Amino acid sequence: MIKELIQGLSITAKHLLPGNSTTVEYPKQRLETSERFRGLHHLVLEHDREKCVACYLCPTVCPAKCITIEAGEDKNGKKYPTVYQIDMLRCIFCGYCVEACPLEAIEMTGEYELANYKREDFCFTKERLLK
Amino acid sequence: MPEMLSLSNDPILFLSLMLAKILAVFIVVILIVAYATYAERKIIGRMQTRLGPTMTGPLGLLQPIADGLKLFFKEDIIPAQSSKLAFLLAPMMILVPAFITVAVIPFGGDVVIKGFAVPLQITDLNIGILYILAMAGLGVYGIVLAGWASNSKYSLLGGIRSAAQVISYELAAGLAIIAVFMLSGTLSLRGIVAAQSGSVLDWYIFSQPLAFCLFVITSLAEINRTPFDLPEAETELVSGFCTEYSSMKYALFFMAEYANMIVVSAITATLFLGGPAGPFAGPINLLLKVFFFMFLFIWIRATFPRVRYDQLMFMGWKVFLPLALLNIVITGAVVVFL
Amino acid sequence: MAKKETMTINMGPQHPSTHGVLQLVLELDGETVVNAVPHIGFLHRGVEKLAENRSYHRALPLTDRLDYLAPMSNNLGYVLTVEKLLGITDQIPERAKVVRVMMAELTRIKSHLVWLATHALDIGAMTVFLYCFREREQIMDMYEKLSGARMTSNYFRVGGLSLDLPEGFVDDVTSFIDDMPGHLDTYEGLLTGNKIWQKRTVGVAPISAEDAIDIGLTGPALRGSGVDWDLRRDNPYSGYEDYDFEVITRDGCDTFDRYKNRLDEMRESCKIIRQAVDKLQPGPILADVPDVCLPPKKDVVNSIEGLIHQFKIITEGFKPEPGEVYQGVEAPKGELGYYMISDGSANPFRMKIRPPSFVNLQALPKMVEGKLLADVIAAIGTLDIVLGEIDR
Repeated sequence: MIKELIQGLSITAKHLLPGNSTTVEYPKQRLETSERFRGLHHLVLEHDREKCVACYLCPTVCPAKCITIEAGEDKNGKKYPTVYQIDMLRCIFCGYCVEACPLEAIEMTGEYELANYKREDFCFTKERLLK
Repeated sequence: MPEMLSLSNDPILFLSLMLAKILAVFIVVILIVAYATYAERKIIGRMQTRLGPTMTGPLGLLQPIADGLKLFFKEDIIPAQSSKLAFLLAPMMILVPAFITVAVIPFGGDVVIKGFAVPLQITDLNIGILYILAMAGLGVYGIVLAGWASNSKYSLLGGIRSAAQVISYELAAGLAIIAVFMLSGTLSLRGIVAAQSGSVLDWYIFSQPLAFCLFVITSLAEINRTPFDLPEAETELVSGFCTEYSSMKYALFFMAEYANMIVVSAITATLFLGGPAGPFAGPINLLLKVFFFMFLFIWIRATFPRVRYDQLMFMGWKVFLPLALLNIVITGAVVVFL
Repeated sequence: MAKKETMTINMGPQHPSTHGVLQLVLELDGETVVNAVPHIGFLHRGVEKLAENRSYHRALPLTDRLDYLAPMSNNLGYVLTVEKLLGITDQIPERAKVVRVMMAELTRIKSHLVWLATHALDIGAMTVFLYCFREREQIMDMYEKLSGARMTSNYFRVGGLSLDLPEGFVDDVTSFIDDMPGHLDTYEGLLTGNKIWQKRTVGVAPISAEDAIDIGLTGPALRGSGVDWDLRRDNPYSGYEDYDFEVITRDGCDTFDRYKNRLDEMRESCKIIRQAVDKLQPGPILADVPDVCLPPKKDVVNSIEGLIHQFKIITEGFKPEPGEVYQGVEAPKGELGYYMISDGSANPFRMKIRPPSFVNLQALPKMVEGKLLADVIAAIGTLDIVLGEIDR
């Protein structure tokens, strides 16, 4: 009985030695997110404008129905989204929009610090998503 | 041999020195209480592969002060259905006995000031140990009262647990000490320290190892530390007797817990480890011993699970009490026949 | 004689150790439990109903959020059920099957680690909590590397996997399972031999084999009562029949044996993962069923056929023949079953989930009646419940 109690004490004592800490001192230190990390969305740019052609696949596949698109045509007759908006309060970061996009026009970044003060701030418009 | 300073031979010097001693002891105890919380968080943090506080000040050293300020400025909530007076009284009733117990603990030998010998001890009661036991017994009223006055079921359960626990463990602790003063022949702590003042081998830990172990374990139970922290068992009773407390009143409970830790460590050091005896100056020796025990308590808290209520009672009455009695019989036999 | 009164105490839904939002109404005589009534539903999100309004593809992320400590096991149960409904179970490529087993076992370790952590914390050993979470963190990192999310993985797909293993993933897994037995010994060093731990667990929260079967207990809780039943062996899925592992059974019927069972299960999981790593061969990760599976991304981007294919599946979904199937998997907590009815449309007509925690929770009143309050905590811990799954 005593032996086991001492064994337990020795285990905790061993961890007291320096070099056993696994703490990451956020926000001073940050973890690297993996390449596949599903964080904040980003609309891909191509020739200084969004690659998206407003095909509506992402709002169709979105299980949380958080993507709003309104399609329009530019003067060359090319389709583009006049409105592209993601409601981050509804988004569940499942990555289906990225998987569905036939043009690889939307991707997910390693950005995970999405807290904010106002409800409106969670509405990510096209301009914010293109940044 | 200079004359002992007393109220009759130099009242002004006596009173001023007494005041100085009280202040010094009080400040030291308060400081240790504050930094014991810091040390506990750091040590347990390290043992659990964490860092403990790091952000407040260098190495997080200002954390206790920040905690204190936070608790001080928090809203003081008194539950509407509580018994107000008892609710207010309870935290004080637990803190005060913890602090005044320190009065009888000798923290050094005599120093000579203006031709008088001044003992480094606030007061040397000839019934020092009884006084300690009495104060320890008083502390539990605070917990019971807190549990009852909160008018909350979890608090009540915590209070009841505490009462049962202290009764069963105080007995064993008291009986463990009896063996010590059977050897020393005095109840005065000063006398007990004097009796151990020879070599290291005169320390009662060597002649009374069983009493030492019993006293440390039962003390753990008395001050509600893991593995005997049943009155405030977080995962069972939310926070036990202090569930309904907030703000400064909660801080008093918190301080009392650590003050009790210091007191128990100091008593153990005095009774079994020769008190202020050792290679350095008296107070430093005592402090080192106190720190050793506090580290032990923290270490145990990081390692062991909590015992169950009925098991605790079983251990108190059926294991520790008979062992303590056996120890008294053996000690008595040795004292009489050898 | 004085009248004997009992005290009713509401334990939860805000309580440190009811593992979420479980409410237990306890009738106490002193500290002895006379009666315990679990109240559930605080975390109800209507997963079963939500699934009826989503295509099979879009209902998958819902399952991540059932037992959020073991998302991949939930995903696995769901995709296996849909595959059975579609009748494409035989066409799942070997690589996908092996990866599924590998991830399901990693998930088992992950879930058991949280169980051990919280169980030990409830009983008062708080250091084990952080040690377990340290190892769990490694599995979370692997999850992130593989699927992009640390908890809600959403990684398996009907017909296979969403993505292939990233570079270096297998090395991570191998080094993890090399270290894991050592870590398990550390936990055991702190708990198994410790007299206090034994006192708190041996003989606590007993449930006999008969009662366990009557209630419908599954998983480690059932096997702790000496019933040798494990779906991975007795009703294999996803190629489990090709793996060599032991079903850990002990007949102590108490918390301690369930504790030992789960620890040994983690060791067995390590063995299964090692076998899976050895079995891993390059190959396709999605079944060759164009009606169900999305085409590879490069086809979508480069060819018009691929593009049309992508549009068709995403906008229309796939429509299984009318019928109904049940598929159970051995999730970390017990048998997780999906019962699905198709009416020939792209959405499930009905999806009934049999969550292990929900059924296991029924054993709680039986386990704690006449015992002490502290044993209730141990019983909740040993049943390993997750409220996300109970309330759905």
